[in-house]
Amino acid sequence: MAVDSVARHRRGYYLYLIPGFLGLILIVIGPQIANFVLSFTAWKGVGTPRWVGAQNYQRLLTDDQFWGSMHNTLFYMLSMTVIPVLIGLVLASLLFDYVRDQFSERLSSFFRAAFYLPQILPLTVAGVLWGWILNPVGVANAILKMVGLGALAQNWIGDATYALAAVSLVIVWVQVGYCLVVFMAGLSRIDPALYEAAQLDGAGWWQRLVAITVPMLAPEIFVVALTTLIAALKVFAPVFVLTQGGPDDATLAPSYLTYFHFFTTQRVGYAAAVSTVQMILTLGLAVIFLVFQQRQAERGV
Amino acid sequence: MTSLSKVALVAGASLMLLGSPAFAQDKTFNIWWYEGADSAQGITWTKALEELKANHPDVTVNFEQKTFDQLQQSGSMILNSAEAPDVLEYNKGNATAGLVASQGLLTNLDDAYTAEGWDKVLNEGQLVLSRYNELGIYGSGPIWGISTYGEYVSAFYNIDAFEKAGVKVPATLEELTAAFDTFKAQGVTPLALGGASTSGQHLLASLAYTKADDTWVQNYQGLKAPLDGAPYLFAAQTLTDWLAKGYITKDSTGMNDDDASLQFTSGKSPMYVSGTWNLGNFSANIKDFKWGQFVIPTPKYSVGSTGNLWIIPKGSKNPELAKEFISLLLSTKYQTEQANNGGVSFAADPAGVTNPVGANASAVFAQIAAKQGLGFYPDWPVPGYYDVLNQKDTGLLQGTLSPEQFVDEIKTVYDDAQASQ
Repeated sequence: MAVDSVARHRRGYYLYLIPGFLGLILIVIGPQIANFVLSFTAWKGVGTPRWVGAQNYQRLLTDDQFWGSMHNTLFYMLSMTVIPVLIGLVLASLLFDYVRDQFSERLSSFFRAAFYLPQILPLTVAGVLWGWILNPVGVANAILKMVGLGALAQNWIGDATYALAAVSLVIVWVQVGYCLVVFMAGLSRIDPALYEAAQLDGAGWWQRLVAITVPMLAPEIFVVALTTLIAALKVFAPVFVLTQGGPDDATLAPSYLTYFHFFTTQRVGYAAAVSTVQMILTLGLAVIFLVFQQRQAERGV
Repeated sequence: MTSLSKVALVAGASLMLLGSPAFAQDKTFNIWWYEGADSAQGITWTKALEELKANHPDVTVNFEQKTFDQLQQSGSMILNSAEAPDVLEYNKGNATAGLVASQGLLTNLDDAYTAEGWDKVLNEGQLVLSRYNELGIYGSGPIWGISTYGEYVSAFYNIDAFEKAGVKVPATLEELTAAFDTFKAQGVTPLALGGASTSGQHLLASLAYTKADDTWVQNYQGLKAPLDGAPYLFAAQTLTDWLAKGYITKDSTGMNDDDASLQFTSGKSPMYVSGTWNLGNFSANIKDFKWGQFVIPTPKYSVGSTGNLWIIPKGSKNPELAKEFISLLLSTKYQTEQANNGGVSFAADPAGVTNPVGANASAVFAQIAAKQGLGFYPDWPVPGYYDVLNQKDTGLLQGTLSPEQFVDEIKTVYDDAQASQ
């Protein structure tokens, strides 16, 4: 009897899932399916799509622009995920462990907010400012010349040798704040007794970081790595505002290629194929991460 | 308040409601354009719209300022929906106006052309980009849009710097390079260039047009044959030569048009090749020196065209008002007004134009149009070619592409589009 009524109760709860589920179908699943179907057609954005089978995917295999953009994505993974996570870890434990103790809670909060600021600033605005800094007659080169290092001045965003690094620098600048804030929130969860004990045993700052902070922060690091890796696969705005994928496609990203074909060449079907591949990669990455994380959790970390 | 006055108030209010022209007010005229509010077109069109409002006090005029990108990117989808306005400015060319015309989203203007008397202002040369056939290719077919101004690419030059250096306005390509040499010898980079932006590909096309004849331009713009790369090869070789001699700098790959035009307006570079859309900016912002324009010396064709089109969507609720507005813009009054705002007009009254910038630009445009020398823009034939030319142009300028490779790469994209049309 009791079990029965619980089950009936549960059934009642399903009703409350309907609105959310409808929303999910309407704005996530529906468009994904539409996109998948479109990727097998030739369509100009208006008129009737024409079925072309796997032609778009065949074209994709031999498209230098697509493979170039995939190659660049590896760099964007570095600048979206690896470097910001490392910098974020070091900065978070510096602010949490050192600045807060040696100076004040306030100063530590101030730095946290300052590092987070690029996340709040609209990227379009930030992009224009970075454009002024990085263009050949921009602030960066002017400063280099002022301090007598004019020989180091470069055509940062206009020369294929430096453009990818320059765009990556801007991405790191944006991403560090996100990692930092999540890691600092995670740090406040860790039992201070662990640090005290380690300190009493003579562990230095670096040893505490490696032996306590990193293992204890593992769940946060997972979440940050997963979200930023997905963001790396989708990177668009910094490329759009800084270089439009140039010079000569040196900073092209898959999302920008999708945008280019969708809106300017009117190869909507081809754009859909690019974004389908992107989606499969993203989903695959997410699944790998979630499985990995679950295993870690089961091992009882 | 006494109850009597309350009654009177209610009665009065009801009377007012009854008496107000509530039904006539329902007529709303929706109009969009994206020319900047301080551009010659923007100023003129705003004034003309005021006159339209005054002529039709019963109509609510609802103007929305759009951006070029908004309509470039989602224009066809807007025109395909119920959200389309009664009349709007739209980008001319196969990939834009041609596409929506061929999809049946526009009102045919063939009858209006004669009925409204537009045929007395425009000639067939100024209608080339108004006509699109059933495939959306310009040049033939019905009239789908009307342009009320012109535009062309030329070299802007610093008159003071030219006089100081003893350089005269070049009439041939040789004289142009001689002028470059004189400035270069004085330690000045003669030509400002936005390699990552429009001015890069317009310089390239201007140079290609020095080797282009009627057949080449017609084939090229009409996607009629695989690309004959010879004019572009000459242009690419000339550009790399200019780069090697320091007439332009390698840094230009990191500059967009805003950065490059700043090099000109600040007086650092004495020349800048770009379009008449800079006229408003230069008139307003160059205070320290006198400046002028000369057309890049070519046998016949210049980069330029009639301006963007006024189109009337199929679902327009007020096509008559839309036509009346277009007629206003083509009238001598507003053509003259436009030239006085520094714009390029078709039919200004020369006696009425007091602004030398607008007078000169309108006269130069008339010269180019008279010899049928509008070569149009290099990115027109192929959708997405604008970005392709920018990318490959920067490759050429930074030295990762040789002139031959450059031509190969743009030819691949062109021929692909040509074969699959």
